[in-house]
Amino acid sequence: MTAPALALAGVGVDRAEVQIIHDVSLDAAPGAVTVILGANGAGKTTLMDGIAGLAPLRSGTIRLDGKPIEKLAPYKRAWAGLGYVEQARTTFRTLTVEQNLLVSQSGDGDLGTVYRLFPELEKRRGLQAGHLSGGEQQMLVLGRALVSAPKVVLIDEMSLGLAPLVVRRLMGTVGELAGMGIAVVLIEQFANLALDIGTHAHVLRKGRVVFSGPCEELRGDEQRLHRLYFGGPPLSAAKTDAGAAESELE
Amino acid sequence: MVNSVIAGLSSGGAYALLGLCVVLTYRLVAVVNFAMTAVGAMGAFVMVSLTDRGVNVWLALLIGAATAALLSGVFGAALVRWFAGHRERTKAAVTVALYVALTAIGVRLFGGNSTGAHRFPNPFGDPVVTVGSVVVPQSVPVAIGFALLITVAVGLLLTRTRLGLKLQALSERPGTAEVVGIPAPRLAVGVWAGVGAITMLVVVLVAPRLGGDFGTLSGLISTALAVAMVGAFRSLPLTLLGGLILGCLEGLSSSMDSIQKYQGVVPFLVILVLLWWRSRREVWDTAHSR
Ligand SMILES: Nc1ncnc2c1ncn2[C@@H]1O[C@H](COP(=O)(O)OP(=O)(O)OP(=O)(O)O)[C@@H](O)[C@H]1O
Ligand SMILES: [Mg+2]
Repeated sequence: MTAPALALAGVGVDRAEVQIIHDVSLDAAPGAVTVILGANGAGKTTLMDGIAGLAPLRSGTIRLDGKPIEKLAPYKRAWAGLGYVEQARTTFRTLTVEQNLLVSQSGDGDLGTVYRLFPELEKRRGLQAGHLSGGEQQMLVLGRALVSAPKVVLIDEMSLGLAPLVVRRLMGTVGELAGMGIAVVLIEQFANLALDIGTHAHVLRKGRVVFSGPCEELRGDEQRLHRLYFGGPPLSAAKTDAGAAESELE
Repeated sequence: MVNSVIAGLSSGGAYALLGLCVVLTYRLVAVVNFAMTAVGAMGAFVMVSLTDRGVNVWLALLIGAATAALLSGVFGAALVRWFAGHRERTKAAVTVALYVALTAIGVRLFGGNSTGAHRFPNPFGDPVVTVGSVVVPQSVPVAIGFALLITVAVGLLLTRTRLGLKLQALSERPGTAEVVGIPAPRLAVGVWAGVGAITMLVVVLVAPRLGGDFGTLSGLISTALAVAMVGAFRSLPLTLLGGLILGCLEGLSSSMDSIQKYQGVVPFLVILVLLWWRSRREVWDTAHSR
């Protein structure tokens, strides 16, 4: 097994002085898609913000290619090779498509790669990002993460509010990113789409990991996913852990 | 009377720039910087202290501007370091404290109203053009030209350079900007330093007209804020216009003996009227949205 590009150990994350994420440990391997699932409010975004440095870490370590990054400012984590595609398509709306890419471009980053993946962006390179369609904005924020030549890319709710056709296309692109050797961490509402392209999955509930395992264990098993999301009678070893975690929470 | 309005334009150009600096600081680093003109005055007085001792004017100007840039940069770094996550009003309060402290120190070092009026070099005082009975002092084209130059330069920097684009990105989405690798703290300190230097130059420009005591020059912040309010802390063109108008108003009031002694109140009147106007519109808007 290859060394993980991203490794979390015992990570706790706060939001407004309240601890939301508790004791999360997980790895993301280069060239693979690691899937993070969970109900609304489970803490997926908070975990990503913690990794990227937008939310304060309460405990634990984050290693990128073996080097600890949890003490670095967000921009230094980006320089270290962490790309973060935030929830809700956070383009710089007043800048053009190309300017959006330029501001995050790093030495080894290449706009050509982005335009090859998303030809529609090249056609609209002079357009203000605020005028793009939802799908195009998602392409732009993906592209923006890519031009910083990242080793790890975190993607939060990529398909939220997008047409199925666009979602399938973007999922293909996520696969391509992994194909380039990037470690992709993917958060998805549409669990099955993500489980199809992912290798490992982690399910969060109330800020704790209640399942970690290969994606095929969950693929197509709606009932099990539902129980993992919302709790219920124990089903496996992972579930028992979750039960313990829950009683601790309440 | 026309003469005084025209003469007011030379202050107007300077006020426009001060307003511009306030708006830029607010938009780029999200701080209402009350200490801005005090920092500028510090730099300006470093400069006159040097020229008083026989140092070459240009060298002194350079050293003064560098001093203001450094001081402002240090303040910016302190705010970034210790107040990054705080509310805007907390940061504004910090700059008010800095303003008070700097003014006290400045008056102490360089003298107040009665004791220490310094002689600022005034190379642009002579009239240049006389159109009929209207006299246009040289300081008017100089001030307007300087305002245009700085505005255009800042505009080009923001829209044509990668650094400027990064600043725009930072202004629009600070969190996202950092996440994509834009070094927000460094850029913020750069903005503070740049604003400090520009403010110092503006203070030097208006000092001969306003008289060279520290308190008056550092108190220019009220004018700067009034001008920034005309642009609603957003619009650069409106801010520039506001500066020119304020300068003319001041020129006008100085030409009328009866109100001349209240000249200093002009910025406060502008602030009051704008506040009243905006709140009226808000009431209007909410009444309609219901
Ligand atoms: N600023 C905040 N202050 C306090 N609590 C917050 C704050 N932001 C989020 N939370 C809480 O943290 C928890 C996790 O939120 P988070 O956005 O991480 O969930 P999520 O899994 O990403 O949900 P979704 O699928 O809806 O995006 C929620 O209970 C939310 O109410
Ligand atoms: Mg979320």
